[in-house]
Amino acid sequence: MIEPGAGDPVIGRYRHGEALGIFAASRPDAIKSCAEEVLADLGEVSVLANRTGLAMLPFTDTVRNTAFHLGEVLVAEAHIRVPERGVEGYGAVTGRDLEHAMAIAVLDAAIAAGHRTDAITVFLDGEWRRQQEDDRERLRKVEATRVEMETF
Amino acid sequence: MAYVATRGGERAIEQAERLYRADIGAIGRERVEAVRDGLPYLVDRLMGEASLYEPDLAALALAQSGGDLYEALLLLRAYRTTQPRLAVAEPVRQADLFTVRRISAAFKDIPGGQILGPTLDYSHRLLQVGVLNGEEYRPAPVEPAAEPAPATQPSLAEWQKAQDLIPDHPAESVEPDEIPDITREPLLFPVSRAHKLQSLARADTGGTLALGYATMRGYGAVHPTVNELRLAEAPVRMRHPCGTVFSAGRVRVSQTEVVSKSGGSLQLGFSATFGWNEVKTIAAATLDLASGQPDPHPASNEEFILYHTEAVESSGFCVHFKLPHYVTFQSHLDALRRVKADRQQAAAIAAEEESRHETNEAVP
Repeated sequence: MIEPGAGDPVIGRYRHGEALGIFAASRPDAIKSCAEEVLADLGEVSVLANRTGLAMLPFTDTVRNTAFHLGEVLVAEAHIRVPERGVEGYGAVTGRDLEHAMAIAVLDAAIAAGHRTDAITVFLDGEWRRQQEDDRERLRKVEATRVEMETF
Repeated sequence: MAYVATRGGERAIEQAERLYRADIGAIGRERVEAVRDGLPYLVDRLMGEASLYEPDLAALALAQSGGDLYEALLLLRAYRTTQPRLAVAEPVRQADLFTVRRISAAFKDIPGGQILGPTLDYSHRLLQVGVLNGEEYRPAPVEPAAEPAPATQPSLAEWQKAQDLIPDHPAESVEPDEIPDITREPLLFPVSRAHKLQSLARADTGGTLALGYATMRGYGAVHPTVNELRLAEAPVRMRHPCGTVFSAGRVRVSQTEVVSKSGGSLQLGFSATFGWNEVKTIAAATLDLASGQPDPHPASNEEFILYHTEAVESSGFCVHFKLPHYVTFQSHLDALRRVKADRQQAAAIAAEEESRHETNEAVP
């Protein structure tokens, strides 16, 4: 289930939020490999942040519509700058994988710079298809558990 | 209360810890992964009570504590304090939930239908003893439907509000940063609904069940039926520095609404928590509903519930009684000895007086 995102596409047919969401849900090895390829000729990168931390997750109660905090999720984030291209990149992913977060930030910066967009689009297309297919397969199994209570 | 310091026992303490850890054995990545992948519901329960979602860390805490849930919980809560808060994510709405299980025990025909999802609710529970004899237990594979279920399901409560079966409460406009947070504010009574639901989300499963069960059995005026129970994955939607909202991943959540008839209307209770933990959310939703009654039974009083289901505080207070209390206990002993001596002295005086009285009577 890809987040729809807002605004115009920033790469291929993907809006900024969609691309970041696909990156976060990507296979760690695959996105690191793609980022390494893109990084090779992106330019000097300065790391503003690359750390783990907490994201508090609010939830909305269905009875009284009260927003409350469900708890905190450990996330890894990376924030970089590419001075010679005048762009920044940011990535965050649930868990502790700092390299995954850094890979997202590199690809985000590359998108902002218009650098290697063909390779990134290919990567996004492949991961998007895989993620859609994983969700579809999971939901086909879920659908198999549907019951009609009259005949149950 | 007074304590004596533990001195001169460093070696004993060191060896005691070694003995504890030696019994658990060496811990490697393989063991942690086996816990994470093989015991997902235990990992979920721990993450919910720790109020920290990270399956690898939860599995590590379980491996390191040998499965002692309260020790594992303490490890995770302590780890949490080492991490900075980077953001408050966007609030999760019902429409965001990638839903794999959603049932109602109150209404059989609900919009979106009833999806059992992963459950043993209607199955026999039998130990696969053959595994201990070397046979591998391989569960039968699911036979997938031709078409997938919808990724999201409509909210049953919204449908009930539209049918005028339950009152609608307009959503309060509150920025994520301004939502009350018990990790940063004290729990004060009467408690805000946001604090109450957050406390229940991180409450001890066993404690919540005990108090919820007491309420269900009659220590309270609420007779719950599950209005809707849902297991899902919720997106953690964060904000890019330029303002773009995106999903950083999904986390497992469970939520339950319970319904009870009160007078001429229906009333709902609600609870949600990290991980898939149905028994906790059913009990907690019951407690939410029962504690919101005008004059709740003492067993479902908000203060009683929330103070006694905080797992770190309650387990910590319980186990502290095994630590040296020699000074306190010595003072109890002194008092007992004093009372005993006073009684003996009083008895001796009484006996002496009685003896004197008898002697006087014997004299002609």
